[in-house]
Amino acid sequence: MSCKICGRTVKENGYCSLHLKAYMNIVEKFKVWSEASGVTWMDYLVEISKNSLTGEWAKDVSKQLIEDESRNVKEEK
Amino acid sequence: MPALKKYTLIITEKPDAADRIAAALDDTGRTRRLAENGVPYFHAKSKDKEVIVASALGHLYTVASTKKGQWDYPVFDYQWVPRWMAEKGASKIRTWLKVLSKLAENADEFIDACDYDIEGSIIGYSVLKYACGGKENVAKRMKYSTLTREELQESYANLLPRIGFALVEAGLARHEVDWLYGINLSRALTLAAKNNSGQYATLSTGRVQGPTLKYLEIREKNIRAFVPTPYWNLTAKIQIGERQFELEYERKAIENKTEAQAIAKSCKTKEAQIKQICVKEFLQNPPVPFDLGTLQSEAYSLFKYTPMRTSNIAQHLYVNALISYPRTSSQKLPPAIGYQSILRKLGRTPLYQKLAHKLLAQPILKPNEGKKFDQAHPAIYPTGNLPEKALDTAERNIYDLIVKRFMAVFGEPALRQSIKVTVDINKNPFFFDGYRTLSEGWMDFYKPYVHLKDFPLPLMFEGQKVEVKKVTLKDDFTKPPLRYNPRSLLKKMEKEEIGTKATRAATIQTLYDRKYIQGGDNMAVTDLGFEVTEVLNNYCPSVVSSEMTRNLEQKMEQIQLEWETKQGVLRDVVEILKPVTLTLKQKEADIGKQLSYAVKKSRLEERTVGKCLNCQNGKLVILRSKKTGKRFVGCTGFFEGKCNTAFPLPQTGTIKPLASPCKSCGHPVVRVWTKTKRPWSLCINPRCPSKEPKKR
Repeated sequence: MSCKICGRTVKENGYCSLHLKAYMNIVEKFKVWSEASGVTWMDYLVEISKNSLTGEWAKDVSKQLIEDESRNVKEEK
Repeated sequence: MPALKKYTLIITEKPDAADRIAAALDDTGRTRRLAENGVPYFHAKSKDKEVIVASALGHLYTVASTKKGQWDYPVFDYQWVPRWMAEKGASKIRTWLKVLSKLAENADEFIDACDYDIEGSIIGYSVLKYACGGKENVAKRMKYSTLTREELQESYANLLPRIGFALVEAGLARHEVDWLYGINLSRALTLAAKNNSGQYATLSTGRVQGPTLKYLEIREKNIRAFVPTPYWNLTAKIQIGERQFELEYERKAIENKTEAQAIAKSCKTKEAQIKQICVKEFLQNPPVPFDLGTLQSEAYSLFKYTPMRTSNIAQHLYVNALISYPRTSSQKLPPAIGYQSILRKLGRTPLYQKLAHKLLAQPILKPNEGKKFDQAHPAIYPTGNLPEKALDTAERNIYDLIVKRFMAVFGEPALRQSIKVTVDINKNPFFFDGYRTLSEGWMDFYKPYVHLKDFPLPLMFEGQKVEVKKVTLKDDFTKPPLRYNPRSLLKKMEKEEIGTKATRAATIQTLYDRKYIQGGDNMAVTDLGFEVTEVLNNYCPSVVSSEMTRNLEQKMEQIQLEWETKQGVLRDVVEILKPVTLTLKQKEADIGKQLSYAVKKSRLEERTVGKCLNCQNGKLVILRSKKTGKRFVGCTGFFEGKCNTAFPLPQTGTIKPLASPCKSCGHPVVRVWTKTKRPWSLCINPRCPSKEPKKR
């Protein structure tokens, strides 16, 4: 199976080893963001996807997660 | 060939050194430069004895496989051969060796005068053994750290009875170990990619290269996967007399927005009070003498010269007898180098006169030495000789830096004062700092290279009321780790004890040459670099392990001390490499697939000049027309039938894309190199406004 972002071999959760590291960082850092400013998961993803300090892979994953979330919301509707 | 009866044959590493040695040893003042088939050598007369000083041309021999023509792995059988037999384009070496062999025929005494280090020892040893017909056991050794007349004469008068065999053994082991690593692993990677894609691309790794790339890869992964987190910081501006000062809140980062806003709110006042003034005086010791690593690091920070460039400049200064041997890891300056004599010589130059005389007036000259020690050479120091030819800017910079550093290490410690002022703004503690140099000491000798800056503060007292001009609450984010630069990577390699002072800069250069990394100040790993490291991490982690490399490095150093043998170390290396090459062979198909994809991507990136401004989707790449064979820029969207954008390109010369787009039209810009013209930058858009003829 291929990584949903770059096409490399999947390691876990649909991500290759490189994007998996970024995904895990995103999940881990949400707690810090939430405690700091009470931001929601979706707002958090938007914030980090726009932030110039966010790493390239973390940006790829956050954009992918935003797309997934938006799709889920549409499907639920 | 000179019609001499018998003579002493002295072998040096390079022709420049041979020239200098001949001139230093000659009593008659009539050194003759001779040449045969373009190979220079020098004739001198020393104490009625004829002397021929001939040189190698760096390494004349190298390690090569005993099996010719088989490009496969594993390879564990090798021999030392003349370089022309193993390398393309080294035919000059063949003539060189013939001349050296001829010169050896009439010599009755042999002296190895190559640089006294691992590389120099192998060069001298292999010439004596192979080109001179087994003279390595009878040859004597000249040991010197500068190419000055006095030191060369002294070294010639006090020859060491034998060449340093322990150093030779250590050097041979290092070359053979590196060859075994390089040939087996590089062939495994290259063949895997070639067998998969049918296309050849040189993919290499090595004993030091692998772990070095891994440091970069770990850092790069942390940067690319980095997620910033928010924090808030408070600053205040106060007025004291005529000056305004920027204050920091006691806590550098407040991690909660509500809390940060509450503190900022409580700081809203017009008046604050100086709560505490803490003054400390401290001594700042002089810097330690330069070893190669610290010189490279300082030169990078001051002039942005890469370690490789600094090393080459220093070597040039050494060959011109202006500085001592630069490839040293010592930070010691023994009294035997003659501190006073060097300072007196430096004092002849107007530029250093005042400083040299100031040091000479000191009752005692004692350098502030560092911890590192090198048994072969002292730290880098100026010889005091004046340049025979004008130095270029870069050489002048490095020379001046070495001279000033040499003088600074003899200086008195500097006396500095630090002042920390705590200010109370509505019971919220803020602070600011000041620094002052009370006595310059060594700093006077190291100008303009002193990094320390002064920030003096006005007179203040505790309890003093001050006006608050502004309190600012700023939101900020944590920063990703910094990318390595040539200086910090070199430091990391030194700290991890991998590679040697002479080879580290070249290892970094190889990573650039192989396109595993890019960028100067910000070294970034390319996709190809990631794939190569991942292959090595997955299939042979021992190859990229710092610990393994360090252990091997220590063992090779022990050969020099005769605590370990070359055979023992090589046996260990073969034991490490056998299972590694077996795994690489078994997994060749998977590895090949992974690497081929990365090579293909890397080649495409190399040809990509930028984004297509017409379709906004495709990439503009340099292509060649199948019909006409002509070179042009086309959009990748063409292959999907979506975009026809194309631009003409010059048909001769080398073209490389530049990072910044055209300022006039926004299209990509390329750099063109041709044989006849100076390189120029070209906007690919033929209708770019910048190309329109200027109206008068």
